[in-house]
Amino acid sequence: MSNRTMPRLLQTPAVLLLLVWMLVPLGMTLFFSFIRYVLNSLRRPEWTTPSLENWRGFGNYQFVWNNDGFWLAIYNSVFIVCSIIILTVTLGLAIAVLINRSFPGRGIVRVLLISPFFVMPAVNAVLWINMILDPVLGLQGLAVAGINEILAGLRDLPFLGAFFSLWPDLAPISFRATQTSAYAVILMVTWQWTPFAILIFMTSLQSEDQQQKEAAILDGANAWSQFRNLTLPHLGRPIAIVVMIQAIFHLSLYAEIEIVSRGNGNKNLPYLIGEFATNNIGAASATGIFAVILANIVAIFLLRMIGKTLMD
Amino acid sequence: MAAVAQHSKFSKIAWPVLAWVVALIFFFPIFWMVLTSFKTDADAVKPENLIVFQPTLENYLNMTENYDYWRFAINSVITSVFATIFTLVVGVPAAYAMAFNPSRHTKDVLMWMLSTKMLPAAAVLYPMTFLTKNFLGIFDTHFLIILVLSLINLPIVIWMLFTYFKEIPKEIIEAGQMDGVSTWGEIKDILIPLAWGGVASTALLCFIFCWNEAYWTVRLTTTDAATLSKLIEGNRAPEGLFFGRLSAVSTAAVGPIIVLGWFCQKQLVQGLTFGAVK
Repeated sequence: MSNRTMPRLLQTPAVLLLLVWMLVPLGMTLFFSFIRYVLNSLRRPEWTTPSLENWRGFGNYQFVWNNDGFWLAIYNSVFIVCSIIILTVTLGLAIAVLINRSFPGRGIVRVLLISPFFVMPAVNAVLWINMILDPVLGLQGLAVAGINEILAGLRDLPFLGAFFSLWPDLAPISFRATQTSAYAVILMVTWQWTPFAILIFMTSLQSEDQQQKEAAILDGANAWSQFRNLTLPHLGRPIAIVVMIQAIFHLSLYAEIEIVSRGNGNKNLPYLIGEFATNNIGAASATGIFAVILANIVAIFLLRMIGKTLMD
Repeated sequence: MAAVAQHSKFSKIAWPVLAWVVALIFFFPIFWMVLTSFKTDADAVKPENLIVFQPTLENYLNMTENYDYWRFAINSVITSVFATIFTLVVGVPAAYAMAFNPSRHTKDVLMWMLSTKMLPAAAVLYPMTFLTKNFLGIFDTHFLIILVLSLINLPIVIWMLFTYFKEIPKEIIEAGQMDGVSTWGEIKDILIPLAWGGVASTALLCFIFCWNEAYWTVRLTTTDAATLSKLIEGNRAPEGLFFGRLSAVSTAAVGPIIVLGWFCQKQLVQGLTFGAVK
C-alpha cells in the first residue's frame, strides 16, 4: 500500500463519524428554522409535518428576535457565564498561588481541591440546592435558625439584652425564587469549576522562570510586584484559555438550571430552546442557530489560540 | 533558596493553615453529602443530629428499593465503558496517522474536529430526537447513548492521543515500517506499549466524561438506557424529605468517579486545554 493511502484510511472513520454528527443534525436545525413546524396544532394540522411548503423565510428568526423571553435568556446566559468566569478566575488565581509553595500535606490539599470537578452536574445541583442552600432544612436554614436562637437567648440577658434586642432576626434566603435562582446556579458551578482553574494555573505556575523570580527578589521586589509583573503576564495565556473553555461549556448549562428552579429566574438559551421544542420547533431551531452563532464568537478566538501551539 | 529564606516565620505557619482551610471549604459539600448518607432521613434534617448521630447503612441497603439504583448504575457502566472502547478504537488509528504521517491538512482536520465540540448541544436537540425516535427507531437504546457519548468525546480523545504520540520518536515507528511490520502490528506491538500511560489516562478521562454527561443521556432516554444522571435529575426531592437516601444514591453515583479523577489530574489539564497549557 502506498505511503499516502494508509494514513488517510486510518483517519476516515473518525472524520466521517464527526462529519455526519455535525452536518446532519445542524442541517436539519437550519432547515426547520426556515419553515413553520409545530408538533401539535388543531387549527393548522399541515404545520405538524416538516415540509418545504410551509416555508417561512426568516419569520421564525423574527419571531424569536421580538420575543422578550429570548432577550431575557440571552441576558441570563451572559450574566451567568460572566459571573462564573470572574469568580473562578479570581479564586483560581489566588488558590493556585497559595498552594504553589511546598507545605506539609500539599498532596492531600490538591486532592481535596480538585474533587468537586468530578462531581456529576446533576448531583452537584441536587446537593447544593437541597442539602446546603435550602432555607428551612438545608445547612443555610439550620444555620439561620441557630443564629436566631442564640440572638433570642442573648435578648434575655440582664443589661445587655436591651442592646441585642436592637438586632433584627436573620431571614433565610430562598434560592429557588426568581430573584435568586441565578445566584444559586452561579454558586454551584463556581464551586465545581474553580478546581479546573486552579489546576490549569498551577500547572502553568510550575513552568514559571524561577531564576527571573529570584533576580527580582534580589532586586528588592515585594511579593505583590513579583506577582503583578512576573507571574500575571506568565499566566496571561492560561487565563485566556480558562475563560474561553468555560464560556463554551457554561453557555450550554442545563442540568443545574433544571434542578434549581426549572428555568424560573435563570432561564438561559439552552433552556429556552428546550421549552420551545415542546411544541414550536421552528422557533426552537431559530433560537438554536442564534446559540450556535453566540458560541462560535468565542470558539473562533479559542481555536486560533490553540492552533498556534499545535505543531510546535 | 533565596525565596525560601524570605518567608517570615508568620507566613511559614499561616500559609499552610490558609491552604488547608481553603481546601477543606472546597471539599466540605462532598464531605457533607457522604456524612448525610449515613443518617436516616429523619436525622438528616434535625439540627441536634448535625454532627452527632447514630450512623446507619440503611440508605445504601435500600438504594435498590428506593431508586432502582443498580439498573441506572449498570446502564451508566455499560454506556461509559463501551463508549470509551469505541472512541479509542476509532481514535487511536486516527491519532496515529496524524502524528506519524501528517499531511498539509492534518492541522486543519484537528482544528475542525475540535470545533465540532463547541457546537451547543441544545441547538440540535430536536433533530436528534426526531432522527432517533421517528426515523431510526433507536431512541432510548444503549446503542444510541454509546454512539453519542463516543462522538462528543472523540475530538478530545484524538487530541490527547495526538499530543502523546507526537512525543514518541518517529524513528522507532519508521524502523518498524522498514521491517515490513503491518500497520496493525505497528499500532499493537510498538505504539501502544510505548504510549501505554498516555492511552490509559486518555481512556480514564474519556470514561469520566461519559459518566458525568448530563444533557444527551437525559434527553435521549426514558427508561431502558437511562443513566445515573437521569436518576438524580428525576429524584431531586424538592421538600428535602429524603436527604439521607438522596445523599446515599448521590455518593454512590459520584464516589468512584472522584477517586478515578484523583489519578488523572495531570492528564485533565492536557485534555481540557487541548495541549495549550503545559
